[in-house]
Amino acid sequence: MHPAIETFGLTKQYPAVKAVDDVSLRVERGEVYAFLGLNGAGKTTTIRMLLGMIRNTAGTVRVLGHPVPGAGNELWASVGYLVETPHAWPELTVRENLEVLRRLRPGVPPLAVADIIERLGLHTYADRRAGTLSLGNVQRLGLAKALLHAPELLILDEPANGLDPAGIVEIRELLRSLAHEKGVTIFMSSHILGEVSRLADRIGIIHEGRLLEELDIEEMEKNRRRRLLVETRDLVAGQAQLVSAGFSPLIDATGVISLTDTAALAHPEDVAALLVRAENPPFRIQLEQEDLEHYFLRLVGMENGEGI
Amino acid sequence: MNNLLHACGVELLKARRSKVPLFTALGFSLAPLAGGFFMIVLKDPVMARDMGLISTKAQIFGGTADWPAYFGMLAQAAAVGGMVLFSFVASWVFGREFSDRTIKDLLALPTPRRSIVLAKFVVVALWALFLTLIVIILGLGIGALVGLPGAGSGVFLQGILRITACAGLTLITVTPVAFFAGVGRGYLAPTGMAILLLVCAQLVGATGWGEYFPWSIAALYSGAAGPASAQLSLVSLAIVLITGILGLVATIRWWERADQTR
Repeated sequence: MHPAIETFGLTKQYPAVKAVDDVSLRVERGEVYAFLGLNGAGKTTTIRMLLGMIRNTAGTVRVLGHPVPGAGNELWASVGYLVETPHAWPELTVRENLEVLRRLRPGVPPLAVADIIERLGLHTYADRRAGTLSLGNVQRLGLAKALLHAPELLILDEPANGLDPAGIVEIRELLRSLAHEKGVTIFMSSHILGEVSRLADRIGIIHEGRLLEELDIEEMEKNRRRRLLVETRDLVAGQAQLVSAGFSPLIDATGVISLTDTAALAHPEDVAALLVRAENPPFRIQLEQEDLEHYFLRLVGMENGEGI
Repeated sequence: MNNLLHACGVELLKARRSKVPLFTALGFSLAPLAGGFFMIVLKDPVMARDMGLISTKAQIFGGTADWPAYFGMLAQAAAVGGMVLFSFVASWVFGREFSDRTIKDLLALPTPRRSIVLAKFVVVALWALFLTLIVIILGLGIGALVGLPGAGSGVFLQGILRITACAGLTLITVTPVAFFAGVGRGYLAPTGMAILLLVCAQLVGATGWGEYFPWSIAALYSGAAGPASAQLSLVSLAIVLITGILGLVATIRWWERADQTR
């Protein structure tokens, strides 16, 4: 079976800028793939090329085994999408907005509209004009449009954009159930890295148009930096005691001993025992893992927050 | 074909829910009202002065108050006013998808983009037909109320055909406006283009080359430059048709091939 998405050397060159540069990625069927990048990294341009909205200047795209552009329109019957901030026809109601998309997707039964309204929690607003909806509800409507026809593949650009915390959890659970129970492939870009780590099977990181890294969640867990933080009454003495035991401790700017030695990370109890024996017992010892935000910024070379 | 029918249904729904058809209908209703007013003035200037419809200082120039003259006025309104209003309709039908940023919802669907574009043209045509019918029906009513002389089935048929033909010729030449709605990604560029074309039509018409300029032809045929030029040659008809086809094809090609970044 063909992968859900496959790009090879995908490039988009504008006169003044290369928005996407030689991106090769592969998303297997049933996978949840998160596409991470800063603003302007090339995420949306890539997504638009996957959907045939922008023509690539080099490379190839295949979606569900079909070349894009070049595939017949039948391909899009199996794909649902949400690109950038969703918009709706403002003079139409929520129900009519969905009805428009249903009619343009022949074969989708009329009942699908009522179903998706219920599923996305839009029943209260179903007969309200879309122009009067809040950003969060427009986002829900955008997701409803993407899910209306029960697609095999979902391509979502910032699906949690504009949603409140409860809405984020709700959409995450919906996407998780679609992926795990219905086998829907999800390709999503996101800025909410915490969400990504909870939902994605694999992550691709794009920066300045180039795909920097592709890795699965387990690999990413391994790559994230960890350190052991130790606080004692006498930091300088504690550092000396650890050095004499073969560790490489540093005292960081917050006045805490920081250890990144593999032995210390694997056996923090040995570090504690050593300091107790040296009569400088720790009053705090904590294993800290680099969060996804820091990992991401380190990878794109903005660890100290430059350019953000 | 089914795709086109579905797309037509969708475009009609969007138009029906909008207030724009009402505004255009009100705009086009002014033509028979203004025509009726002039007919009253021409028919009996003294009564018009007594009723306060015109100032006592107003100079009344030549012209006859009868059905053929009234139909001539309505045909000119369909040609010149039609150019403004039909262009506005095309700008709205095509440009609103870019201004409202709903275009992206129409680009990766089982319904081809070509069917969506054709459906939009069908709606523009139906809308233009609706506006033309308003001019004809309201015009007949107002003409009857004014009590215009010279009625007859031949006069009515000829008048109605001329109004319809002028509206049709104008409608065909607004397809390039739809193309500019795409290129300009909104209402502004096509509206500007329509105004520019209207000004050019006046200028070219004044130089005597109007029968070769697509946007002057309907106005000339309506009799705007006098009865002598109110003829439609095969060359003029071909120019209008070629312009319409070029606008249609260019719009479809643009929707199918241009990068869509909105």
